[in-house]
Amino acid sequence: MKLKSVFVLLVVFVLALTACQPSQDVEETEVSVEETEVSVEETEGVVEETEAVAEETEESDSSLPAACLEDELGCAVIQAGETIKIGMGAPLLGDYAMFGIDISQGVSLAFQMDDGFEGWTYELVAEDTGGSPEAGAAVANKMVTDPTVVAIAGHIFSGSTEAAMPIYEKAGLPMMSPSATEPTLTQRGSTVFNRLAFTDADQGKFAADLLFNELGFTKIAVMHDGGSYGQGLADVVRAEFEALGGEVVAYEAITTGEADYVAPLSAVAAAEPEAVYFGGYAAEAIVMMNQWSQAGLDGVLFFGCDGTYGVEFTDKTGPNGEGAIAVSLVPPDSDEKTAFDQAYFDAFGTEAGELSAFSWSSYDTGGVLIAAIEKVAFVEGDTLFVPRSALVEAVRTSDYVGLTGLIKCDAVGECNASGPTFYEVVDGVWVPLD
Amino acid sequence: MKQNKIKQGVITGLTFGLIFIFLILTGFTQVGSDMIGNLLGNFEKAGAENALPVINLILFTGLIGLLMGLSTSKANLSNTWLASLLNSILAGLIAGLLVGAVILVTGSFHSQGVDFRNYLPKLGSEQMNYLLHYTTPLAAGTTYLITSTVASLIGGAIGKAFRQQSWTAHSMTWTKNTVKNIGKKLKLGQSPQRKIITILGLIVAGGLLYLLPLVWGSYWNYTMGTVAIYILLGIGLNIIVGFSGQLVLGYVAFFATGAYTFALLTAPQPHAILMNVWLAVGISVIVSTLTGLLLGLPILNLRGDYLAIVTLGFGEIVRILIRSDLLTFLTNGPKGVTNVVQPSWLGKVFSDVNYTHFLFLLVLIALFIAKRLKDSRTGRSWIAIREDQTVAQATGINTFKSKLLALALGAALAGLAGALFASRNQFTGPEDFTLMVSVNVLCIVIVGGMGSLPGIVVGAMVLKGLPEILRELDDYRLLVFGALLIAMMIIRPQGLWPAKKVSLELQRKDSLGDNIQEVEP
Amino acid sequence: MINKIKELKITWGSAIRVIVGSVVAVYLIWRVVIITFGSGEFGPDTWVRFLITGLVIGGIYALIAIGYTLVYGILFMINFAHGEVMMLGTFAGYFVLEALSAMPAPGTDANINFLNAQPVLSILLTFLAGAGVSALAGYLLEKIAYRPLRKAPRLIPLISAIGASIFLQNAAQLLFGPQRRQYINPDLLWRGQGWMIPVSGKSVMLTYTGGFSFVLSILLMIGLFILVRKTKLGKSMRAVAENKQAAALMGIDVDSVISKTFIISGILAGSAGVMWGIHNGLFNHYVGFLPGIKAFTAAVMGGIGNIPGAMIGGMLLGLMESLGPALLGLDFQLKDVIAFAILIFVLIIRPSGILGEALTEEKV
Repeated sequence: MKLKSVFVLLVVFVLALTACQPSQDVEETEVSVEETEVSVEETEGVVEETEAVAEETEESDSSLPAACLEDELGCAVIQAGETIKIGMGAPLLGDYAMFGIDISQGVSLAFQMDDGFEGWTYELVAEDTGGSPEAGAAVANKMVTDPTVVAIAGHIFSGSTEAAMPIYEKAGLPMMSPSATEPTLTQRGSTVFNRLAFTDADQGKFAADLLFNELGFTKIAVMHDGGSYGQGLADVVRAEFEALGGEVVAYEAITTGEADYVAPLSAVAAAEPEAVYFGGYAAEAIVMMNQWSQAGLDGVLFFGCDGTYGVEFTDKTGPNGEGAIAVSLVPPDSDEKTAFDQAYFDAFGTEAGELSAFSWSSYDTGGVLIAAIEKVAFVEGDTLFVPRSALVEAVRTSDYVGLTGLIKCDAVGECNASGPTFYEVVDGVWVPLD
Repeated sequence: MKQNKIKQGVITGLTFGLIFIFLILTGFTQVGSDMIGNLLGNFEKAGAENALPVINLILFTGLIGLLMGLSTSKANLSNTWLASLLNSILAGLIAGLLVGAVILVTGSFHSQGVDFRNYLPKLGSEQMNYLLHYTTPLAAGTTYLITSTVASLIGGAIGKAFRQQSWTAHSMTWTKNTVKNIGKKLKLGQSPQRKIITILGLIVAGGLLYLLPLVWGSYWNYTMGTVAIYILLGIGLNIIVGFSGQLVLGYVAFFATGAYTFALLTAPQPHAILMNVWLAVGISVIVSTLTGLLLGLPILNLRGDYLAIVTLGFGEIVRILIRSDLLTFLTNGPKGVTNVVQPSWLGKVFSDVNYTHFLFLLVLIALFIAKRLKDSRTGRSWIAIREDQTVAQATGINTFKSKLLALALGAALAGLAGALFASRNQFTGPEDFTLMVSVNVLCIVIVGGMGSLPGIVVGAMVLKGLPEILRELDDYRLLVFGALLIAMMIIRPQGLWPAKKVSLELQRKDSLGDNIQEVEP
Repeated sequence: MINKIKELKITWGSAIRVIVGSVVAVYLIWRVVIITFGSGEFGPDTWVRFLITGLVIGGIYALIAIGYTLVYGILFMINFAHGEVMMLGTFAGYFVLEALSAMPAPGTDANINFLNAQPVLSILLTFLAGAGVSALAGYLLEKIAYRPLRKAPRLIPLISAIGASIFLQNAAQLLFGPQRRQYINPDLLWRGQGWMIPVSGKSVMLTYTGGFSFVLSILLMIGLFILVRKTKLGKSMRAVAENKQAAALMGIDVDSVISKTFIISGILAGSAGVMWGIHNGLFNHYVGFLPGIKAFTAAVMGGIGNIPGAMIGGMLLGLMESLGPALLGLDFQLKDVIAFAILIFVLIIRPSGILGEALTEEKV
């Protein structure tokens, strides 16, 4: 009984704190309230017109800089003392939390290491999506109501990105995703969506080519984890490998989060492949690797993707992981990469690449966005203006060199211009494959 | 006797000490202190460069101490002033010692350069310095000890003073009685008056429902749209669980069926059927209903938890099949279906404001239908089945048919909700239909009050709205949400807005107890 | 009148049972014929591998399932947070192993850590820590979240349990971080090594961790069985399951028996959690969720409230997951579909599980 009352008191206290907290959101909602009202009055039921436009029509009579008046989406207006906000929808809680946390840490590190723009600093506003598309749309709707959010780093998973794209498109917020790999995302004519991640189509083609032509395998098995990322890759690899003239002797999908993959691996082993291609993430790859010989796959090559690359794989497979191959956007060690790895560890206590394979590309995402904002933003008086459609354009025309090499977007928003690097585990370390 | 008195203080102190340590280790102290800082207007922030204002942390500690003191006084109504205050001091000392010891140990390790973050990621260097008040571990530990003791003493004194005069108790009963009297008066008053009040209330509510979506912006439109969809789901599940008493844990299966049927019929990919939106909604509802019937036929004879696990399994089967390679040709696999068509009326696509209005209208219709159903002959036979299946059967109710009807109706509503969900999001993927959706809807039904229709509205607001409101708490929102669920069940097991019949039934305390008086504790 | 109704019910039920049963039976026979005389897709060595892995996982499921069954047998509630109790045990075991591996062994040279110098003692300590923490978690869970609801309708504790599950999962993420962690096993039990069993010219590996987990889970189950059947506590547990009021009248402290039940189920779940860590290696705060659901399924399949039923259900579920897809010629992605489909099938044929409900007679 005692415990109960204590507990209840605590809960009430927490609630009271939450309720009392004066947040900026109150102001923001008020602002958006005004805007919407205006839009309702002015547009008389013309539904396509967006709030952002309404905002500008209303504010056009006040003294805005010319560049903002010319910009069809208007400007983000950031007062002195505020920060330049960059939004993110990421799975920060639940089963996929390590991806969201890693990526948000990578991006925020880029912001911390930057000294800001004319006295304004950058701030990452990361909201939890739990990885679900529905929550992705909810977060997107929240982001567009905050007028000081100028760009979006993300979202993280393709499904969540998919659901959020139309909302950002309407509001004119440029997106740069470090990890959404679904090939068709860039083929929808979106002006705002860009990504650093490789599309599954490209990566699969490279992988199949390497397997067949360079390594000389003719019989492989293809496995994936049942997610859209893994399945997308596996399908491409199977199609490409067969197109090259090889034979895919087994095609098996597994479920994530299990303790034991001996059964599916044994079924694959029974088809006697020379190599196994796996599309999926490190968690499953590690368990599979540790059960490799148990399933009778001794001497069969493990070929992973960019989701399996990273220190986590080598740390947790130890000698079992020897000889495995994976792909990454990250070129071999450079000074910048070493500096980043050190800074990441100092800031968060885990090594870059331990939570997910996207630490480096998320850092670059932050860098690209900073570069684009600095290209278009300008100060008048003590206020910072960021013209929105100019920023969309600036992100699309990024030309930036980061940890992952050259980042230069093409017409549809595929920004990774440097090819992939293949790595092999030699003595417990990822070494570039010649 | 003496021992008992001290025991209270010791237990409270230990409990609060452990809770505070938990808050430190999860990093909640920081969030709590920031909140206090925000409340007080952050007056110290201008001073130090990077240092967070220590005063907030001390205030946070004090607040916990205060609560601790209050709760010690609560337990000892009969104690004298001295004993009561002694208890508060004891509790404060024990909690302070516990926290102080933790701070001392971690602090001295930290000053030797030990990095805790591999195991306890919230104890980074910055946070540790803050927890140590930017001083030595010993000084910080002492501060915690003193703050906690003093605050607990103050809390104990306040609590004792209030209880001594039993001022609070009086005011509580007074408020309760007044509310009751007002309620009675309203009910006993002449019916024309009541009618006018009801009509006025309805007009105001209707006006609000119309006006609010116009003014509260796209984020709230989206959130309230989700709430409305969950209300529809809640009404559906309430027919199954609340009215007919069948525990179904795989309700998401029907939701998914509706969403996917609609999406596949209207989206350009993968099948390019591009059917008319309203026709597709109808077909989705029919397909979901048929799924409900097909599932119900073999399994509705199962009892209680067997039914629960079978339906849970069915929900998982549907989700796994949707994303499996086997059905990728049909459902587009894990990638989901994109570009699902939004509804339009007279050639104009719904804006988010229209959509919210449309959802509200549907919710009102569904509520009305459910209300009529509940009062109908069918509804009463469901309630009879829920109360006692054997007796219901003996009175001539075809229980199987009734249960099947309930399941089919519930499935139909879920199908409708699914179609709306897919069309509003313009996207549907297998990750939207996890087990947690079923669990959430069940929570809505029970948190609102089982069998109660207004309860569902309240429950959906709380369960789907609260996590959005709790977004202010960042990473802590689900933690707080879980704790609130437990607390709510303990404080108000009958739900936020219980149905009348159920609340009568709740007085029967034990499933075994045929003897009501005996089981009163 | 009543007779008539009963007859009607039986005809309904039995008709469905006969139809479903015969369809499934025909399909299964056809599949088995195909596999034995047909393609010969898998050799005998592969089948042995399926069998081994199924039994190991089945043992873990069985241990967790017993926890569900014990609690259900006594309180008639689904302890939704049971998987999270297991997760806490997994974390506890991990921290002990980390500490032991960082500790130098007494009396030997500094290169060998305590873990490898005293492997048996270390493993014992790990299990003690895992079981102890889970037992404590189970005890507190009951005391805070369930005991105040003892008299409430049946669905209320279920929601409370869901709340507890969400709370514990997120508490673990906030306390220990979201990253996956890996157990450091002593070299004796290193993952990926094991005994080689020759099967039709090929050698099949039975890993040390797998063999160890299986034997330990069997031992724990035997221990539990003795406890429930032979000891005074077991007797009072059965009495409370049968009738709480009568048990109270007989002088049994019902509250304490319920607490002890939660402690026992916590011990089993904690052991299962440590086994999971030792056998699989990887875990994070989400580790309890999936096994929790699976074990619940297993408990229901065996007949919820029935301890031997939970054991058989767990083993069967493990075997079905590894053998099922191969037997039916389906993708391994669909193993859960097969498991749940068989569950539905079993319950249609036998509406109260394979062994029926044993701890208690009659309960809705």
